[in-house]
Amino acid sequence: MIAFLVKRVGQSVIVLIGVSIIAFILEHLLPGGPAKAILGGRASPFQIAAFNHANGLDKPIWEQYFVYTGNLLHGNLGRSYKLNQTVNSVLATDLPKSIILVGSALILSLIIAIPVGIFQAVRRNGIYDYAATSVSFLLYSMPSFWLGIILILAFAVNLHIFPSEAPQGQTIGAIITNPRAMFLPVITLTLVSYASFTRYMRSSAIEALAQDWIRTAKAKGLSQRVILFKHMLRNALIPIATLVGLSLPSLITAGVVTESVFNFPGTGFRFINAANTEDYPLLLGIIIVIGVMTVVGNLLADITYAVLDPRVRYR
Amino acid sequence: MPLLEIDDLYTNIRLKQGEVKAVGGVSISINAGETVGLVGESGCGKTMTGMSIMRLLPASGYIASGKVKLDGRDLVAISEEEMRAVRGNDIGMIFQDPMTSLNPCLTIGSQIAEAVALHRKVKKAKAMERAIEVLNLVGMPKPQERINDYPHQLSGGLRQRVMIAMALSCEPKLLIADEPTTALDVTIQAQILELLDSLKDQLGMAMLLITHDMGVIAGRADRVVVMYAGKVVEQASTEEIFASTNHPYTEALLASIPKMDGSVARLYSIPGIPPDLSNPPTGCRFADRCRLASDQCRDNEPPLVTNDQNHSFACFHPVGIEANHVKITLKVEAEEIQRIEHADRKPLMVLEHVSKEFDITKGAILQRKAGTLKAVSDLSLTIYDGETIGIVGESGCGKSTTGSMMVALEKPTSGKVLFNGEDLFGHKPKELRLIRSNLQLMFQDPYASLDPRMSVGTIIREPLDINKIGTSQEREKKVISLLSEVGLSSRAVERYPHEFSGGQRQRIGLARALALNPKLIVADEPVSALDVSIRSQVLNLMKDLQRTHGLTYVVISHDLSVVRFLADRIGVMYLGKLVEIGTGYDIYENPAHPYTAALLSAVPEPEPEREKTKVRKIIKGELPSAINPPSGCRFRTRCERATDLCAKEEPPMTSFGALHQAACHFPLISKVEIRTGAAAF
Repeated sequence: MIAFLVKRVGQSVIVLIGVSIIAFILEHLLPGGPAKAILGGRASPFQIAAFNHANGLDKPIWEQYFVYTGNLLHGNLGRSYKLNQTVNSVLATDLPKSIILVGSALILSLIIAIPVGIFQAVRRNGIYDYAATSVSFLLYSMPSFWLGIILILAFAVNLHIFPSEAPQGQTIGAIITNPRAMFLPVITLTLVSYASFTRYMRSSAIEALAQDWIRTAKAKGLSQRVILFKHMLRNALIPIATLVGLSLPSLITAGVVTESVFNFPGTGFRFINAANTEDYPLLLGIIIVIGVMTVVGNLLADITYAVLDPRVRYR
Repeated sequence: MPLLEIDDLYTNIRLKQGEVKAVGGVSISINAGETVGLVGESGCGKTMTGMSIMRLLPASGYIASGKVKLDGRDLVAISEEEMRAVRGNDIGMIFQDPMTSLNPCLTIGSQIAEAVALHRKVKKAKAMERAIEVLNLVGMPKPQERINDYPHQLSGGLRQRVMIAMALSCEPKLLIADEPTTALDVTIQAQILELLDSLKDQLGMAMLLITHDMGVIAGRADRVVVMYAGKVVEQASTEEIFASTNHPYTEALLASIPKMDGSVARLYSIPGIPPDLSNPPTGCRFADRCRLASDQCRDNEPPLVTNDQNHSFACFHPVGIEANHVKITLKVEAEEIQRIEHADRKPLMVLEHVSKEFDITKGAILQRKAGTLKAVSDLSLTIYDGETIGIVGESGCGKSTTGSMMVALEKPTSGKVLFNGEDLFGHKPKELRLIRSNLQLMFQDPYASLDPRMSVGTIIREPLDINKIGTSQEREKKVISLLSEVGLSSRAVERYPHEFSGGQRQRIGLARALALNPKLIVADEPVSALDVSIRSQVLNLMKDLQRTHGLTYVVISHDLSVVRFLADRIGVMYLGKLVEIGTGYDIYENPAHPYTAALLSAVPEPEPEREKTKVRKIIKGELPSAINPPSGCRFRTRCERATDLCAKEEPPMTSFGALHQAACHFPLISKVEIRTGAAAF
């Protein structure tokens, strides 16, 4: 188990170095560069050179990269010139809100998807199974921004049950004390990820139920409930753990879109703004942080996998 | 009153269209303490009968009518909840494949204990104690330590012991054992069967032993029920059914099994395949394949009648009288030996001190070599043109690796494989490809070895296409002639593998292997995936093709009777070593190596007298690891005769006859001086 962890952490570090290199290079390939973005289109070449020199942007790109990663290792993500704040402080206010949004959507979608998937597997090819399958395919094929707009139209504009905008407070407290406003963004994200989770849960439960050891469990005289939740569930969750890890990037992407649709003051919304205003240090900071979160999420998924499956643990 | 009484049971399985009448009116009774053997081929309804007793049918299956009475209580009529109290408590069940029948995510202790906690209504700790107790009972070494193991940490034989412990944990009155040893090696099979027998006596329970293996039945069952196409065709005491078989199906089944004494030159084979049970024939279900069938059989269903010996059978033309017996061609042993000894002994393939090792790697980031798995060690063997060499041994003995090296799929780590005097691995890749057409493989699993998306014609033509042999028309013609040679019609060309039965697929595989006119065919477990009656068709076909094509076969199998039937000379392998080689007679009647003798005594034979009186030399323990094989003689850890010498010195191959050699310090027969000119091994 320890060897397994060491191996996975090692791999994660390599992935993160890769992410930072690619993001850094991409940013520096963008036309204009930071100087033009800050000083405006009419800045003279002399002003640009002075700005570049002052901020170390005239050094070779690899040197800039090492300065940047050196700062990163000290927890310094750089400074947003546009906002005149450190990237750290921007993320410190925004990130927890996004984590609450994406995290609660992830947990909620699993809470719905796992029992529904099991139910579908047990009653497979029945009327309820077909109904649930239709719903998940409908949701699966729906882009998150579209789903968000439909929900706003239905529940905010027509029915006036929920507000059309997410809570606008700057602190986490303001976000979590307004669950009514949180409802639509969380549900949008939940429905988007629910669709694929429930499909996988259904097929993984069907596969587990067809195994010989389920027959053995039945031959022992165990009840359906014990067979489903003691014997089947743990085996069926093994592929789901991997799936959750793999779907983190797409969930975060959907989060970015959803934050824009609902005007949610989170990292995703900030990311879109940073891209529009060419705020490179902030863009890079967000990419790195999302990269770290994805890698850590995958690591957690792998650990869960090993906890669930003794065959992985004891290798 | 019998313990279990199945009365006119009908079980159906719903399909998208129609229903399969899997069990069609079966009546069986089992007395307390009795072992009843239920035999038949796959699809005959024997497993469905067992599952109907437990009411564990697949979701689409249901009991249409009939009664299953346990101690007078009809299990068909009770509620699901009441039935759950019967399962695992009054009736225990063990299944065929111990590798897949245990939950991989739960420890074996908790899997056994949960049945105890459920039925005996005891606390977890108490149930765990019982789990240790039953694990001890089934001969699990160090049960206290093993209860926290997960199934994947145990070998197949130990897992089957866990399955048995689980089924017996609540001391059921009836144990249903569905093919309990089919997935195991013969020596482990012997251990498990012996264990079941002794436990049955100890606990005084009855047993329904479901199997396709007549040998297993012969030695263990008190009474035998033979099923065919969902019906009981014959039922009698074990001695009676083997001694005076009445139903032509039972007789044909017995006649299609190769005998261990090698007396049969050609097996009887039942023509055709079993009927489609979604639309069963009106008369006798065996009529279409029966050599004695008359119009009466096709129109009317023969009733199950019982004679004074308490022997029941459902047949209008019982085979009890001599004139009705099947004709079996017997081999003349003396002629055989002469044929082998005086054959034109031109070596076709020579293996010189061949070894094959696989590296085992370990480590988190840097993969370092943790050891080598010695799959084959210093094996020397000469294969003569036109003969059949059999290689037998348990799984993991290196027999398949040896076969792979013979067809140049694996390169030996050291040693040479000479084909027609030239080193196979000394060639350039292009030359090797040409030589390869002379070396073909016949695979074990006819379901997995044919591409499901290629038509049969394309499958057989592919080797010709790859090697650019003949024109397109010539290739087509060759395909048709190959098909007719293996007994398939030319219409098969357009069809796809899934449209054929297992036996037919194995014929297609054989046709593909023959396409390039090979010299040598390595058949790795050629019939182990096939049913008994189909098996004999393929075995006969292999013999016929050898004669017409002048083929040399290497037959690799764990089934000693199959090898005895096909092979002229037989090599016995143990843990990567060739321990004995000789003619069929040498190996089976006069073995020199203790392992050979133990292996032979472990094979159950379809002869009740012999089976019940046989003194079994059951090999204790499990196969040692091939990563760290024992020093000296590798068999010494499980050998009765082993001394210090066996640990210190590896026994050399010594001669026991013209073609008979074995590697043992303390052989079972005396050594002979090597006759000049016969120094071949």
